[in-house]
Amino acid sequence: MKTVEEINQKIKDGDVVVVTAAEMTQIVRESGAEEAAREVDVVTTGTFGAMCSSGAFLNFGHSDPPIKMAKTYLNGVEAYSGLAAVDAYIGAGQPNRNPDIGFNYGGAHVIEDLIRGKNIELSAESYGTDCYPLTEVKTEINIEKLNQAVMINPRNCYQNYAAATNSTKETLYTYMGTLLPNMGNVSYSSAGELSPLLNDPYFETIGLGTRIFLCGSQGYVIGEGTQHDTSVERENGVPVGGAGTLMLKGNMKKMSPDYVRGATMPKYGSTLFVGLGIPIPILNEDMAKRTAISNEKIVCHIVDYGVARRNRPKIMKTNYKELRTGTIEINGVEVPTSPLSSYKKAAEIAGELKNWINKGEFYLTNPVKKLASKGFEVKPLETRKPSVLVKDIKVKPVITVHPTDEINAVAKKLVDNSVNHVPVVNSTGKLQGIVTSWDIANAVAKGKERLGEVMTRKVVVAHEDEPVDVVARRINKYEISGLPIVDNKNNVKGMITAEDISRLIYAKKGKNGGSL
Amino acid sequence: MKAWLNFSPSIVNKRVIADLIKNYNINFNILKANITPKGGKMLIEINGKEAEEGIKFLEEAGIELQPITRVVKKDEDKCIDCGACVSLCPVTAIKIEEDWGVEVDDELCIGCGFCTYSCPMKAIKIIE
Repeated sequence: MKTVEEINQKIKDGDVVVVTAAEMTQIVRESGAEEAAREVDVVTTGTFGAMCSSGAFLNFGHSDPPIKMAKTYLNGVEAYSGLAAVDAYIGAGQPNRNPDIGFNYGGAHVIEDLIRGKNIELSAESYGTDCYPLTEVKTEINIEKLNQAVMINPRNCYQNYAAATNSTKETLYTYMGTLLPNMGNVSYSSAGELSPLLNDPYFETIGLGTRIFLCGSQGYVIGEGTQHDTSVERENGVPVGGAGTLMLKGNMKKMSPDYVRGATMPKYGSTLFVGLGIPIPILNEDMAKRTAISNEKIVCHIVDYGVARRNRPKIMKTNYKELRTGTIEINGVEVPTSPLSSYKKAAEIAGELKNWINKGEFYLTNPVKKLASKGFEVKPLETRKPSVLVKDIKVKPVITVHPTDEINAVAKKLVDNSVNHVPVVNSTGKLQGIVTSWDIANAVAKGKERLGEVMTRKVVVAHEDEPVDVVARRINKYEISGLPIVDNKNNVKGMITAEDISRLIYAKKGKNGGSL
Repeated sequence: MKAWLNFSPSIVNKRVIADLIKNYNINFNILKANITPKGGKMLIEINGKEAEEGIKFLEEAGIELQPITRVVKKDEDKCIDCGACVSLCPVTAIKIEEDWGVEVDDELCIGCGFCTYSCPMKAIKIIE
């Protein structure tokens, strides 16, 4: 048994033994946990991943005459200033107000540029008060000029996280990166055996006040992060999904751009790569065992981001050793894997923190209050009205045609039923294609006779149990006006059109007395 | 070798590439092409026993050939070695090395540009 005070004395005396989490895994494998606990005082961890739930409080100082900033922009990115006169919070995920720039320069990029010491254009508007008469200010700031630049990240350092794949036929652009169609790749984000909260899975040493490496400076854990969850199933002592999170605080004036970077996930948004490392004091044999966790023993699920719902279906279980080989077998097919967090940087951070401790520049802390290891569960957001599913809306009875039908007959069917789209099915009712009134006009113009020659074979479809909002996004994304509704066996159940959806919106708004 | 072929408007209708493939013992691959009646460019990879003769044939046919040494370039200052690009490469030209750094193999790269769009740091550029 050791105490943090004893370890700090060793740091002071220059004879502390510090190893990284990857080294600890080896040491315990070779010499056992008992000896490792005797030998090793501190295990350093590290991670360098995209953490959207990050941001910074900035204090600009007062102009003369003063202004109570109501709308505040930094290089065109809005910072929330619904606080006292000259305080603002810049969030990593805030896009640029110029739609041409958008995600390519968002809040995360402002944070990086501040840390780099660059000049940033500040523009603020206000309504003017007796004590703050100025209504507009435009000037240039940089981190030196700010009174405070305090990074406060509400949720960083997920204990573990599901890996992502995509079963649909289209490429998806997500916060888990670009996901290729037909489960063409898998992306994962945890730093595995180097990851801080996987090395102290029951939060025995980490809590409010724990001093950490944060973006190249010394920062602090200020409590559980948002969505902290202690109810996740465990294997080998560590959770198999999201689970624990941290809320962090650090002084941006001391940070280094080597360990914090603004980034853009295409078609998703801007995000901040946050470098953080936590020292784990090896107080006893138990802690030695926990910090010896290896990639192989850290399990996660691969989930299907093709289903845009709160609960995405799990495809299979895997572990970080397998993910790190670069390929994984899904349903007999070898699929390439991509990490989203830099393992190289994570190792660098664990190494740097080790150096700091060895050099006596960093001392360990006893937390004022440990992170909760039970009683936390993530509640969903219940919406006032449950989302309307495709099967809930009244669609016209199914009209279908066959590929062998003559163009004239199809034209008549469109007119008789006053519809613009008809799904094309085979003799057993399975979807083969779709035809629109425009296709028919095109067929007539070109003298085609059979439907099979003009129908569209690659069809975007809707499923009965999908929310209408998901279908509306699909209609918008593919610039189409209607989709066949199919069941799991590709049998056509009906058609849903943009008109059906606008009618639904009208009905909803109408009831509330609102207007479109 | 990889090279850009420049087609002038006067030869876009001539049968050159087909003859090249038919008559020479070469490995030939078209990586990119944009040729209109106004002329255009084609990025090719040409190897094999008679590659030299093949190239001579192209030049005699009036196609200007610009060998390229680089298809793709990774900006080391911007790259954070996250690895998001690795699984997107259709020809496994991007790999995670032993030190966990991300490396792009210029020899294997076909310049498809899929990684450039998806890179969170915009660190990979295709050299045109």
